[in-house]
Amino acid sequence: MCCTAWSIRAFAMIDAAVALPIDEEAQPPRRRRAQLSAIAAVSLFWVLAAVLACWIVPAALHLNPYAVDVAHAYAAPQARHPLGTDGLGRDELTRLLAGGRITLSVGAIAALVAMLIGTVYGAISGYYGGSIDTLLMRVVDVFLSIPTLFLLLFLASMFHGNVLTLMIVIGVTSWLGPARLVRGEVLTLKERLYVEAARSVGAGDRRIIFRHVVPNAAGTIITASTFMIATAMLSETALSYLGIGIRAPMPSWGNMLSSAQSDIFAGAWWLILPPGLVLLATTCAFNFLGDWLREVGERSVAGS
Amino acid sequence: MTAFIARRLLLAIPTLLGVTILTFILIHIAPGGPAAALGGEKATAAQTAALTHQLGLDKPWPEQYVLWLNALLHGDLGFSYLKQQPVTTLIAQRLPQTMLLMGFALIVSIAIAVPLGVYQAYRRNSAFDRSASVALFVAWSMPTFWFGTLLIAVFAVTLRWLPVGGLQSIDTTAFDWPSRIAHLVLPAATLAIVSMAGWSRYIRGSMVDQLREDYTRTAIAKGLPTRAVLFRHTLRNGLIPFITVLGGTLPVFFGGAVITEQIFAYPGMGQLFWQSAINRDYATLLGMTVISAVLVVLGNLLADVLYGVVDPRVRYD
Repeated sequence: MCCTAWSIRAFAMIDAAVALPIDEEAQPPRRRRAQLSAIAAVSLFWVLAAVLACWIVPAALHLNPYAVDVAHAYAAPQARHPLGTDGLGRDELTRLLAGGRITLSVGAIAALVAMLIGTVYGAISGYYGGSIDTLLMRVVDVFLSIPTLFLLLFLASMFHGNVLTLMIVIGVTSWLGPARLVRGEVLTLKERLYVEAARSVGAGDRRIIFRHVVPNAAGTIITASTFMIATAMLSETALSYLGIGIRAPMPSWGNMLSSAQSDIFAGAWWLILPPGLVLLATTCAFNFLGDWLREVGERSVAGS
Repeated sequence: MTAFIARRLLLAIPTLLGVTILTFILIHIAPGGPAAALGGEKATAAQTAALTHQLGLDKPWPEQYVLWLNALLHGDLGFSYLKQQPVTTLIAQRLPQTMLLMGFALIVSIAIAVPLGVYQAYRRNSAFDRSASVALFVAWSMPTFWFGTLLIAVFAVTLRWLPVGGLQSIDTTAFDWPSRIAHLVLPAATLAIVSMAGWSRYIRGSMVDQLREDYTRTAIAKGLPTRAVLFRHTLRNGLIPFITVLGGTLPVFFGGAVITEQIFAYPGMGQLFWQSAINRDYATLLGMTVISAVLVVLGNLLADVLYGVVDPRVRYD
């Protein structure tokens, strides 16, 4: 079960086929547990701070990420431009905040789309079982036989357009892991007594699935969603890096890093390090949070 | 064993047919066809229509599908509109470069992941193990294209130790091994950072399980040196689950790495797929997707068969 949570992240991995297992240690010693939650606390703080900064600061200070100032192109960090300026003289910090808003929203909404499709699909497959389950899982096998990045690239290049299409494209290529995960969970949950109780008082299948079974899988779903946000952010930035995600002039951490590659020769380290570091810190934060949630979930199962 | 393999291959047929149908439908519902992409922006509607007819794209898609599938079963992947060459020729040109890059990356990943995972398991919950776990988690969250950019900035532009990208030095057209290898180092390092992080965690987990087994205790009790216990006894069993991971890399050897090849302008299969996707080169896209899907299925099967070879306790029925 726990390994499935990891395979979600693994199969959507950009440019690497990696499966991460969980070491099956019975109980980590107390010191380690405390340390992990410290990391989780820092991660949570980082995510909240990033969201607040990206949404509030540009609006409060009336910052314009599109304001061009060619006379001050490639300016090094200074009081007026804390993170310097890019090749068109646009303020890097302003673009970083505006880009963060795009990258974080795409990550969150795409993860939501993937989890919604995956949860409904997996719950139906696991609950009804039998030939419906076999058929639905064969369809998942078909999708899983196509390298995810191929599908993602193909769809993104065909339906390029606005931010919303990108969110949907990433979402519809990422639901397979959650579907398998939720199906596995539902297979055990549907045998519980409360399901039988609900059925005995005449509840319909739809009510049992979405009011009784799925809410009890909430822990698994929330954990998977957290990992999924990191994966979706990496997908957005990778597609934007390739030029088929968020397009200039709208900033995203991905297309900022894409243009940074040509700024290497201008010696503009302030265009390469900050966007990459905030992106890495944010994907790490979501992954650490997911890992911590998973551990909490397993501990509560072991304790019950 | 033979019956097991035969059954698995039979089960794979509907899956692979599904892949061909799915890809075919996706390609044909996508707006803008290869004729539009090939004709360019200046092409008139009549020219585009003529080109569409010439390419056979005005036939209903079920008919196109049957024609394509029939050719596929005869080993013909079709003709690339973009490169004006048969798809099989294109693949034959690029596959060796991709396999070289992937092989290099695989060796680097394993060379780091195995000793690291073994040592972490041996010293589990030590300060080293805990800090390595956190560091590996960070490496695992790494956006590869940014890591590649950093490597270029440091090792190619600032230090000038290694080339920025490409296949080999343009000074000579002859095959040049030292130059080839120099051009492989940075892309392979970029690919290895994420897989190394995942794999060492995998090996650590598997080794921790093996170190608790009775046979390990026996080996220690009879006074074998630690090195022999770890590498002769425990690692042999600890690597068994790793077979699944290796089976999963089979399609990657074919498909290459789109992003890493893009960063380093490396002419491999990933770059071919990427160019075909933005230029709507249907035949190449379909061909590459189908071969990748076949390799996914074969990789899984190979892993399951190898389990039986290395672990006599595994039975197929």
